[in-house]
Amino acid sequence: MKQSQMIRHFALSLAVSMTAAPAFAQDTLKIGFAVSLTGYLAPYDTPTVEGAKIAIADINASNGPYKVEAIIHDVRSDTVQTSVVVQEMIDDGANVIVLPCDDDPAIAGGLIAQDAGIPSFSTCATNASLTQAIGEFYFVNYAADIVQGATLAQYAHEQELETAYLLVSPETTYTGNLPLYFGEVFEKQGGKVVGKGTYSLGQQDFSAEVTHITNLDPQPDVVMTSAYEPDFPAFLRQLRSAGVTSAVYGSDGIDSPTTVSLGTISEGVVFTNAGYPTPGTRLGDFFDQYEAFYGKKLSNSFAATGYDMMQVIEAAAIAAGSVDGRALRDAIDAIDGLDVVTGKISYAGRERVPARSVSINQVSDGAVIHLDTRVIDAAILPRSK
Amino acid sequence: MEVFAQQALNAIALGGVYALLGLGLAMVFSVLGMINFAHGEIMTLSGYALVFVATTLGWPFGLAVISACLLAGAAAAMTERIAFRPVRGASLTTMLLTTFAVSSILHVVFQNFISPRPIAVPVPEWLTQSLNVGGLQIGTLQAISIAVSLVALIGLVGFLRFSTLGLAMRSAAQDFSVTRLMGISADRVIIGAFAISGLLAGLSGFLWVAQRGSVDPLMGFVPVLKAFTAVVLGGLGSLNGAVLGGFLLGILEVSLRASLPQELLPFRDAISLSIVIGLLVMRPQGLIGRAEAVR
Repeated sequence: MKQSQMIRHFALSLAVSMTAAPAFAQDTLKIGFAVSLTGYLAPYDTPTVEGAKIAIADINASNGPYKVEAIIHDVRSDTVQTSVVVQEMIDDGANVIVLPCDDDPAIAGGLIAQDAGIPSFSTCATNASLTQAIGEFYFVNYAADIVQGATLAQYAHEQELETAYLLVSPETTYTGNLPLYFGEVFEKQGGKVVGKGTYSLGQQDFSAEVTHITNLDPQPDVVMTSAYEPDFPAFLRQLRSAGVTSAVYGSDGIDSPTTVSLGTISEGVVFTNAGYPTPGTRLGDFFDQYEAFYGKKLSNSFAATGYDMMQVIEAAAIAAGSVDGRALRDAIDAIDGLDVVTGKISYAGRERVPARSVSINQVSDGAVIHLDTRVIDAAILPRSK
Repeated sequence: MEVFAQQALNAIALGGVYALLGLGLAMVFSVLGMINFAHGEIMTLSGYALVFVATTLGWPFGLAVISACLLAGAAAAMTERIAFRPVRGASLTTMLLTTFAVSSILHVVFQNFISPRPIAVPVPEWLTQSLNVGGLQIGTLQAISIAVSLVALIGLVGFLRFSTLGLAMRSAAQDFSVTRLMGISADRVIIGAFAISGLLAGLSGFLWVAQRGSVDPLMGFVPVLKAFTAVVLGGLGSLNGAVLGGFLLGILEVSLRASLPQELLPFRDAISLSIVIGLLVMRPQGLIGRAEAVR
């Protein structure tokens, strides 16, 4: 085809497509999910993506100004694979990138999106410092570690607990820092941290650490840890077998059926998560919607925060009136009090770490009961490490 | 003193589990000269079987444990028949890669067909209680770990010493080609070694799962690493060495965790592995490994 012919052909097809398109055409918002459907992050990324898919179906059925197109690729919990996939998605015209639930792959993929000027979210990485490590185009989605640590410390103070023992694992920022944030706020509120133990992820045998705690005199009022499976159940079991009766506080990592199934061992354990599905609330309805959509029961709040993320992106696109990276970024950064499945979410004035409600829950009689849902005051938040 | 006795008990209980794990790896290594990295996935499989039999079928817990162990033995024998027999006699690298392949295939099968999220194991209440004997807290599970490891070790010694297949395995461990020249069927010895290794994986799987309270697709990785360390420490190719290595590793880990100052605690795995390397520098063939020249 000669060049003049080509131009004529192009002009003709352009004219045809313009006349054929309806005047109220929906714009397409392309969201690239570079997430882990296999590997060690699959337990967190999979439900988040499931929740996002429900949101996308709802958005596309609502006939709003945007139609969402999802590109979902498995990055196998691998950092290098995440960068490769994110680059492909950007080349493919993605407007927003969703990254895996851990710091390393989130940073690798986030930096590429940052360079391309495209907003990115991690499904559930809770390290607030990632916003500094990656840059102004990266947003935290899930309740950040500083938020969960502070909320638990505030609650512990209200329960008149005075001494705390912290169990940390420096191998991840989540298991290493969250208990320290708890400790910092706990001491600011007048409590005292009387000891700190360290474990390795997957060590399972906590006999040595438990013997340390057993020999503390007096016993701490509360043992706080952000250990999750398999460490948390193993630790708790050995702690209780050794006769330690202190309160045990944990974070959303133990928001899992295993925690409840431990019987009398886990009785009274307090933990935070992104929301409790009280029947009749928006979140309660979402749990029903999930069950109808997938034909299985939802047992954690990750799917709900996946839905939230899509609502945030849609609201930002509507506010920006565009899918341009910079415009979307600015619109997300300005979101204030948006109603989402888990409650309200605000990014405005929070340095891309959202203010979102955190639920405090307790294991009681083989079930999880809801104690309180609150949005922590920014003034008592510790600095992210 | 009391704390010391408590930590010693903790160390023996953990060492027993490592010994069982190491023995499972050593069984296969002794006849094939191959470290089976899919051993951990056989453990995981026994965990899923335990949940299925105890929860879905509703059988009593003890019966569920026995069926999970038998299933693990059968599954290990099956991996031999399907995956390892076709590459028997191939280079060591090929066999090693095959074990990694079996391991990753099982990971994906568990993740995609069962669940990527952990599944709770209905561990009965009595297993999680503890007895106070003269100031010592002895957990039921700890006591069971020690008892199960001892019974399994004694049973295995009896089998290896007094049965024909056991004798064949012992001689295969020393020199497989001569054993075959004596008219022993290689297939029988090898599949037997896999089945026993699977049974041991099932037993250690039960102890491991009872402690953690859940099964997830990737849970086999850490135990197989510990088993590998135990086997290398004890001496590759030696069954006694695997048991000794397992107990030593358990004792080493617990004593480091109990005695290191707070600032050094994050480095204890590095320290325990350095000590293992130190021992290996002094005895490259392992503590009771075969000190023979490579032919």
